[in-house]
Amino acid sequence: MKTLNYWQAISEAFAEEMERDETVFIIGENVQESPFMITKGLVERFGPERVMDAPLSELANAGATVGAACAGYRPICDLTFADFIYCAADEVLLKAAQQYFAHNGQVNAPCVFVGVAGGGFGTGPEHSHVPSAMILNNPGLKLVLPSTPYDAKGLMKAAIRDNNPVCYFFHKKLMGLTGEIPEEEYVIPLGQADIKRKGSDVTVVATLYMVHHALTAAEKLKDEISVEVIDPRSLEPLDMDTILESVKKTNRVVIVDEDTERCGVAAELGQQIMEQAFDYLDAPVRRVCSRNMPVAGAAMEKYTIPNADQVISAIRSMVE
Amino acid sequence: MPELTKDQKLALYRGLVRARKYDELNVRMASEGKLLTFYHSAQGHEAIGVGACSVLRKDDYVYMHIRGHGVPYAIGKGIDPKNCVAEHLGKATGWGGGITGVHMVDKENGVLGVGGTIGSCFVLSAGYALAAKKRGKGQVCVCFTGDGGMQRGQAHEAMNMAASWKLPVVWVVENNLMAWFTPFCDTSAVKDIAQVAKAYDMPGVIVDGMDVFAVREAVEKAVKRARKGEGPSLIECKTYRFRSHSEGRPDACHNKLRPQEEIEKWKERDPVKLCRERLLEEGVLTVELMDGIEREYAVEMEEAEKFALESPYPDPSRLPEIVYAP
Ligand SMILES: Cc1ncc(C[n+]2csc(CCOP(=O)(O)OP(=O)(O)O)c2C)c(N)n1
Repeated sequence: MKTLNYWQAISEAFAEEMERDETVFIIGENVQESPFMITKGLVERFGPERVMDAPLSELANAGATVGAACAGYRPICDLTFADFIYCAADEVLLKAAQQYFAHNGQVNAPCVFVGVAGGGFGTGPEHSHVPSAMILNNPGLKLVLPSTPYDAKGLMKAAIRDNNPVCYFFHKKLMGLTGEIPEEEYVIPLGQADIKRKGSDVTVVATLYMVHHALTAAEKLKDEISVEVIDPRSLEPLDMDTILESVKKTNRVVIVDEDTERCGVAAELGQQIMEQAFDYLDAPVRRVCSRNMPVAGAAMEKYTIPNADQVISAIRSMVE
Repeated sequence: MPELTKDQKLALYRGLVRARKYDELNVRMASEGKLLTFYHSAQGHEAIGVGACSVLRKDDYVYMHIRGHGVPYAIGKGIDPKNCVAEHLGKATGWGGGITGVHMVDKENGVLGVGGTIGSCFVLSAGYALAAKKRGKGQVCVCFTGDGGMQRGQAHEAMNMAASWKLPVVWVVENNLMAWFTPFCDTSAVKDIAQVAKAYDMPGVIVDGMDVFAVREAVEKAVKRARKGEGPSLIECKTYRFRSHSEGRPDACHNKLRPQEEIEKWKERDPVKLCRERLLEEGVLTVELMDGIEREYAVEMEEAEKFALESPYPDPSRLPEIVYAP
């Protein structure tokens, strides 16, 4: 075992996959200097042809990514901020997502779009969102949301090897988080949830930084309520079985999501749980999400995104 | 163009010093951990905003670039820098009510907002200009952007639209040879951005972006043209940023630090210095006057900091009220 932090884990996955497969390359703004560290050191190792500093155009970068993927490469497109995926909407949501379907399964686009998501730095609208529901609303795209260094590395390797376009959002607040990584190579298949903490009274489903709020809540409540924390790790594909199994055991579920509440991931998961495990529920499914507004900046940010206290009170309200 | 009056020249110099002092305040506050959001220093870029805005009317629109978070442009339009400081501290007296972080707004002075996505300014400013044209009062929109912003599709889509509809918009591109940590020459097919104007059959000029007088003259000409209904122009200001892309980040280019000699070389043409030297030589400025101006704005910035620190945070209960207009 070795200890790496979250961005190093992502970077190591890039390096190993680039080593393993010549068709893997990285394209994006400043990937040679890497404002979010994840490509640090790669240009020295693989050269500027495979770590390509691209123009300030998410649309051109994403489009070139999709095109190259259709033509036999496995590009990784760094959009820097996840929010900027909106700037590349045509290429990601229409072209990448629909490529395979639109061409009768004859052309596929194996590529990864990465971006740093979420709040925590007060950077305000256009720089702080976790745009996951928008991705899920466009079938054809996969969606990965890692919450630990171990997951970040294993899931990135799976994402690069996947034959579909994968959106992979990592979180601003997790960049420096350290964790143990095996020396030997490993891949975490997409669509396998991880039980981050076992419990028997309430199930909390969360991704990205929200997993850590859920774990904090579980720890604080440990003498009163036994909380199980499930991290789906990818929302497409989604490991519903693990979630349902947990719900059948605890009969109560709180979903924590940093994306906007309205029409969000939590609404989707809650509905699926209701459809598939209604008889097991002792209480309505509860959501803790970002409020139905853009993420505010500076000191107001904290009033718009979820915190651990909200998760604690949601859990408490389930057992009262 | 007629020779500028002494007062006009002094006003330009004052604008430069004020913008620089404001920038220095932010840089210091960023290093002290006081800013609640990021800060992109404008040091080196001041002549562009100050020079361009000196020819505008109060009812003209400006779309501000991220350098200095708009202050070099905004002060020329009449905005008070203390509200900018307050916004960066997340205070209710800030020009975004302490809610936006950096998406500043001062409607009174023609600042309708600032985008977080670089390059989005082009199409919106075409929209401001469309409104100005419809209103028929001779208003113009001056949109400031970087060389990076020019690389987005919006730039070209907006130019085509504005040129075909003769919209009163002036695009001022601050070409500082860098976009984040990537040099311009790596990602641009053309050396001079101004030449892009040819493709849309509109004037495209190159200006020394360190020279506030040159910027003023070029923008004045473009603004006159726009006011007469003759359509948009593109002005490329050659400039340089003296500090890193944003505070707290290494001043990198690719994966190395930017060469110090290059920075020093450009600093010889520091816009504040260039203007000061010229005005001293012309006798418009005296050493005493110069010191007085320095002191005046140093005091203003001290007061702005105090104002911001002492201002209250916004009431979070306001948040739902600003999602939809009533
Ligand atoms: C659409 C979009 N892509 C990327 C960014 C991140 N970003 C912020 S400033 C910047 C560089 C802008 O370069 P330029 O337009 O040349 O202005 P400069 O910073 O050099 O003044 C980048 C890439 C952004 N804010 N928006």
